[in-house]
Amino acid sequence: MAGNRPIKFRILELCNKSGGAWNYEVVRQIQKEYNLKGDYQRDSINFDLIELASCSLLRDVEVMVDEEGIYKKGFLLHKYVITDFGKARAENACLMYV
Amino acid sequence: MDLQLLKKQEHQRRVRKGFMWALFCAILWGLWYIPGTVVWVLNPFDEMYAEIAATNGDGMSLIITAVLITAFNALTVILALMVWNGVLGKFGEMKRTLKEFNPCSKWFFLASIFGGPMAILGSFIAMGFVGGAFAAVAALMYPVVGSILASKWYGEKISKRAFAGIVFIIFGGITIFGGGLLTEIGAGNVVWIGYIGGLMAAVGWGIEGAIAGKGLDIAEPDVGLTLRFLGENIIWWVIAVPILAILGFPMFKYALMVFEPLTMLVLVFAGITFGFCYVTWYKSFPLIGVGRGQGIGNLYGLFAVVFIALFFGDIPDWTILVGGALCLIGSSIMFSEDTSQLESLRGE
Repeated sequence: MAGNRPIKFRILELCNKSGGAWNYEVVRQIQKEYNLKGDYQRDSINFDLIELASCSLLRDVEVMVDEEGIYKKGFLLHKYVITDFGKARAENACLMYV
Repeated sequence: MDLQLLKKQEHQRRVRKGFMWALFCAILWGLWYIPGTVVWVLNPFDEMYAEIAATNGDGMSLIITAVLITAFNALTVILALMVWNGVLGKFGEMKRTLKEFNPCSKWFFLASIFGGPMAILGSFIAMGFVGGAFAAVAALMYPVVGSILASKWYGEKISKRAFAGIVFIIFGGITIFGGGLLTEIGAGNVVWIGYIGGLMAAVGWGIEGAIAGKGLDIAEPDVGLTLRFLGENIIWWVIAVPILAILGFPMFKYALMVFEPLTMLVLVFAGITFGFCYVTWYKSFPLIGVGRGQGIGNLYGLFAVVFIALFFGDIPDWTILVGGALCLIGSSIMFSEDTSQLESLRGE
């Protein structure tokens, strides 16, 4: 499936579930849906997540060190969940049903 | 390894990156003043200025010529941005974002109205009817407008310390241009429209930042910025330039004369510096917020004076030392702020 809406919209959708979603899961899912290959695209999607969190649309509910190299060895893995502000902001954009 | 420590380090990296982008913005903005100054004395713009001044007066001529120069500036900026987005592989995302008018592209087109005709034109009006120093000082006020709007509108956190930093940088800028400012206002023949122009610049860029911050919530900065310049190109080339041509100004005559090697080179240099100054400006907003991004971006005043001194040999007044010191104090106040305050930029 090729994504046809802006990547940040889709990220918010993916994080809109109870318990949230791990960054590596979101990144992989987006890479697959939008057909974005390679490390550069991977990091760029992860940066979208960081920007969304920094703007308070997402917040991290769990953090762990990537010991096994699931995403990037030695770096932090974040589990993000959409915030109320994120839901309100996304309401007229991508989360029509919220 | 301590998880909290790692988290703190990661967060500090993010904030450092945001400040770095904002600082690059200030340097590139300062560099832009070189082509931005030179282009006025090049063909065909100097001839255009002379022709319109002969019939409509100097102030009016400056504004009309500024429209054409700004239109070409917007054109070369969008060329630079297209190359940039092409290299980053973001055309797909651009198409996707453009289609989302209500949540995304609307904000970027609005930003282009405030940043383009309002701020840039206002700045030229201030320059034409009062003087260059006044225009520069007036524009320095924009982070105050931007940070207040972003805080009132969508609750961006702006600490007292960050605001103090912004104020120091503004006073630094005023000191740098201070001598010129007094001479210009003291000259006595200042027209009120010049002050309106100054106000347009400060308010326009401030509003642009706040609006862009809103659109950047859910869009990519590189893509959002390109859409903002798409909007500005439409405003100049589809609306302003044709209207002025219909009113009888020789817009197209001179627009077609622009293909001289030196003029093109200067315009391309202007497009690259202005384009990337905006890229870095927009990239800093989601990382450190609109208020801080604009505050550090304001260091352009200092860089502009330094670059102009280096390239044109205009020795600045001694006041640059005092003003530069104030700018440094202001930036240090902001850089050294405890970044845990910035974990999330907005209060929840």
